[in-house]
Amino acid sequence: MLHYAFHRTIQAIVAIFGVLTIVFVIMHLSGDPTLLLVPQDASAEMIDELRRQLGFDRPIGVQYLEYLKGLARLDFGISVVQRVPALDIVLSRLPYTIELAAGALLVAVGVGIPAGIIMATMRGSTIDRVLTAIVVTGQSVPTFLSAILLIFVFGVTLRWLPTSGAGDLSALIMPSIALGALSMSTFARMTRISIIDELGKDYVRAGRARGLSMAQVVGRHVLRNASIPVITIAALEIGNLLAGAVIIETVFAWPGIGQLAIQSIQSRDFLVVQVIVLLISFVYVLTSVLADLVYVVVDPRIRLVR
Amino acid sequence: MQRRVFLTTAAILTMMTGAAFAQGKERLTIDLPGDAATLDPHLQWNTDSYVIYRNIFDNLVTRNTAGEIVPQIALSWTYLDDTTIEFKIRDDVTFHDGSKLTAEDVAFSINRIIDPNLKSPQLGQFNQISSAEAMDAVTVKVLTKSAYPALMAQLVKLSVVPKAYVEKVGDEEFNVKPMGSGPYKLVEWRKGVETELAAYDGYWRGTPPFPSVLFRAVPDVSTRIADLRTGRADLIREVPPDQATSITGSAGAALLSGATERVGYLYINAEAGPTADVRVRKAIAHAIDRQTLIDALLEGYAAPVNIIGAEPIFGYTPDVQGYDYDPAKAAALIKEAGVEGATVEFLTSPAYNRALVEAIQQMVSEVGLKVEISSSDQATFLKRRQGEASNAGGLAVGAWSCACQDADGIIYPLFRSGSIWAKYSNADYDVLVDAARSTLDSDKRMDLYKQAYEILREDVPGVGLYQVYALYGASSNLKWEPTANEAMFIMDMSWQP
Repeated sequence: MLHYAFHRTIQAIVAIFGVLTIVFVIMHLSGDPTLLLVPQDASAEMIDELRRQLGFDRPIGVQYLEYLKGLARLDFGISVVQRVPALDIVLSRLPYTIELAAGALLVAVGVGIPAGIIMATMRGSTIDRVLTAIVVTGQSVPTFLSAILLIFVFGVTLRWLPTSGAGDLSALIMPSIALGALSMSTFARMTRISIIDELGKDYVRAGRARGLSMAQVVGRHVLRNASIPVITIAALEIGNLLAGAVIIETVFAWPGIGQLAIQSIQSRDFLVVQVIVLLISFVYVLTSVLADLVYVVVDPRIRLVR
Repeated sequence: MQRRVFLTTAAILTMMTGAAFAQGKERLTIDLPGDAATLDPHLQWNTDSYVIYRNIFDNLVTRNTAGEIVPQIALSWTYLDDTTIEFKIRDDVTFHDGSKLTAEDVAFSINRIIDPNLKSPQLGQFNQISSAEAMDAVTVKVLTKSAYPALMAQLVKLSVVPKAYVEKVGDEEFNVKPMGSGPYKLVEWRKGVETELAAYDGYWRGTPPFPSVLFRAVPDVSTRIADLRTGRADLIREVPPDQATSITGSAGAALLSGATERVGYLYINAEAGPTADVRVRKAIAHAIDRQTLIDALLEGYAAPVNIIGAEPIFGYTPDVQGYDYDPAKAAALIKEAGVEGATVEFLTSPAYNRALVEAIQQMVSEVGLKVEISSSDQATFLKRRQGEASNAGGLAVGAWSCACQDADGIIYPLFRSGSIWAKYSNADYDVLVDAARSTLDSDKRMDLYKQAYEILREDVPGVGLYQVYALYGASSNLKWEPTANEAMFIMDMSWQP
C-alpha cells in the first residue's frame, strides 16, 4: 500500500509538472497580454514600456524560472489583468464549479444508473426503447442548444426557473440538467453494457437455478460485479465536471472555473490560467486515485500494488 | 415650538424621500457581458470596468449628453500659458467616508496615474502631463510637456481618488475595495459574478435615482435577453444588431440605440502587397457598398460615413467627399494596376463581426482581387496588425473609439508614421496631424484636420464604413438616453412605472 502511494505521488508530480510546462510555453509563445491591456491609441513606446514593467520582455526561460521559484514558495503570482493574486481569483470561483459539478453528477448518476439497469434487465421492452431514445438525445444534442432551449422554455415562457446567475438552489437546476445530460447518457450506456455482460455469466444462471428471482440476482450479485467499469467512468466524469464546463457556464452566466479559464486564455492572463491548469490536473490525479481505492472496497480481490 | 416645527419638517422630509423611493424602484439590475477586471479607475480601461467604476467616482471634467466637455469636480479652468492650466475645484464634495475632496486629492490622482510604478495601461493617455500640484484647498495647477489641446478630452477619463484612503490601504486593497466621491458606493464585489452598489446619500449632485444598483456578468447575449424579458435584468449592454428584433418584439422591453463616436473602418495596407499600389486601394474603396452592409448585416443600426470619423468627434468634416460604390470603376482600376486575381490577406479575429468580414471579402472579390480571410485570436491578430507591414495583412476591419471625441485620438494613432497601426507614411500628413496636436486654436485645428482627411482620401490607407450605434435592451419603465461615448451613468437614468 505504501509502495502504491509512493508511486502514485511520483507519477502525479511528473504529470502535473509536465502539463504546467507545456501550457506555460504554449501561452507565452502565442503573445503576451500587453497589447490587450493598452488603449487603442497607445504608442509603440508605451506598449514596450508597459511590457517591460510587467516583465514580459524577458526571455521565456527567465520567466519560466521565475515562475518556478514562485511555485516553490507556493506563490502563484498576481494576475496582470485583475491585479489580484491569481490563486484568490481561482479559489473564489471553485465553490461554484463544485456546486455545479455536484448538481450535474446527481442528474447523471441519479438518472443514468437506474436507466441503465432498467434498459439491461428489460431489453426489447417499450420502456427500454423510450429510455434509449432519451439517452441518445442526451448524448447527441449539443449543450449550447439544450441550454438555450431550457432557458427559453422554463425561464422565459413558463417562468419557473431563473434565466441566469448563481445564487439560490433554483438557479442550479437548469445548468445541472444541461451539463448532466451528457454524463447521464454515458452512465446509462456503461451500466447497461456492464450488466448485460454480467447477465450472460454462469453465476447468474446458477442463481436462477437455485430459485432466486431475477431482481434478487441482479440486486445481490450482478450490480456489484458490474460496478467496476462504472466506477472508472465515474472517476473520469467527475474530473470532467470539475474541470469546468465552458459553454454551460457561459450560457447560464455561471461564474465557475470553465468561464474563468476561457476568459483568462483570451485575455492572456497567464498566471490565472496556470493556477487553473494546476487545479484541474490535480483533480484528475486525485479522482483516479480515489477510483483505485474504491475498486478495493467494491471488489476485495483487487490489491493495490505499485 | 421651533423645535417641533423642525422635527415635523424632518419627519415629512423623511416620509417624502421614503415615498419617492417606494414609487421608484428599489434596485436597478444591469447585465453586462463581463465582470469588471479592476475597480481601481486608474488601472483598467475595458468597457465593463469603466461602466461600473464611473458610477463610484467623479471626474475632474466630464461630457454632458450633448458631448460637450463640462465641469464636474472642477468648477473652471484657465490656461496660464500654453503648458500650464489652473483648475478651480468644488469645495462641497465628499468621499464616501465623509471626508472632504480637496485639491490635494486631484493632484494626487493625476500624479498617481502618470507614475510608472503603478504600471497603468492608461499611462499613454496621460503621459503628456508632466505634473500636478495643489496650490491651495481648491486650486490645482497642471503642467503639460508641451501645448496639448487634447488634454481636456483626456482628463474626461481621469477619476479623482481619495489620497488619504489610497495611501492608507495601498493599491492592491484599493482595487478590490474602491472608495470615491461618486453617486454610488461599493457594497460588495463578488468577483466574476456581480457588483453591488448603494446610493451615496451625501452625493453633491443630489440623491441618486435608485437606492441600489446591481451589475451582473452575463457573457451570453441570448441569456442577457432572456434576463431582460423575464425582468431579471432592467438594462442589458451589448445587443448585436441581429438580435435587436427579439427585444423590440417583446412586451415590457425596449431597444435603446445611440449613435456613438465609434467608427467602423476598413484598414488597407499601403506599404506591402498588392495594396501598396494606390490604384488598388482606391479600387477597394469603390468596391464597398456601405448601405448594403448596414441594411443587411447591421439591420440599419449604423449610419454611413464619408471619412474615418463620425459626427460626434472634433475634426469631423462633411466636406470631404466619400468613396461612392462603383464596382465598374473599381474593376477598371484593378485592371489598370495589373493585379487581377492577386491575393490579398484579410486579417480578423472573433472580436469582429464575421458576416461583415465575409461580405467585404465578397465585394472586393467581385472587382477582381482574391481575398483570403486569416482568422486568429485577438492577441495574435493585434500582434500581426500592429507589427511589420509585410506581415500585417492587406485588409482588416475595426471599430475605433478613443472615448475622447477628437480626431486626434483616431487618425493620429491609425495613420501617423511610426504609429503601431500605421502601415502608411506621408510626410505632409504627419505635419498636419502633428500641428493639430500641438495648437490650442480650435478653428485652426478644424482646418488642419480637414486637410488631413483630404490627404487620407487621396492615399486611402483605410476607408470609413459606418458610424456605430450602441444597442441596449431596457425595461420600458427605464428612462435613459445612451450617449456617444458609450458610458452608463446611473445619475442620468430614471424609473417611470
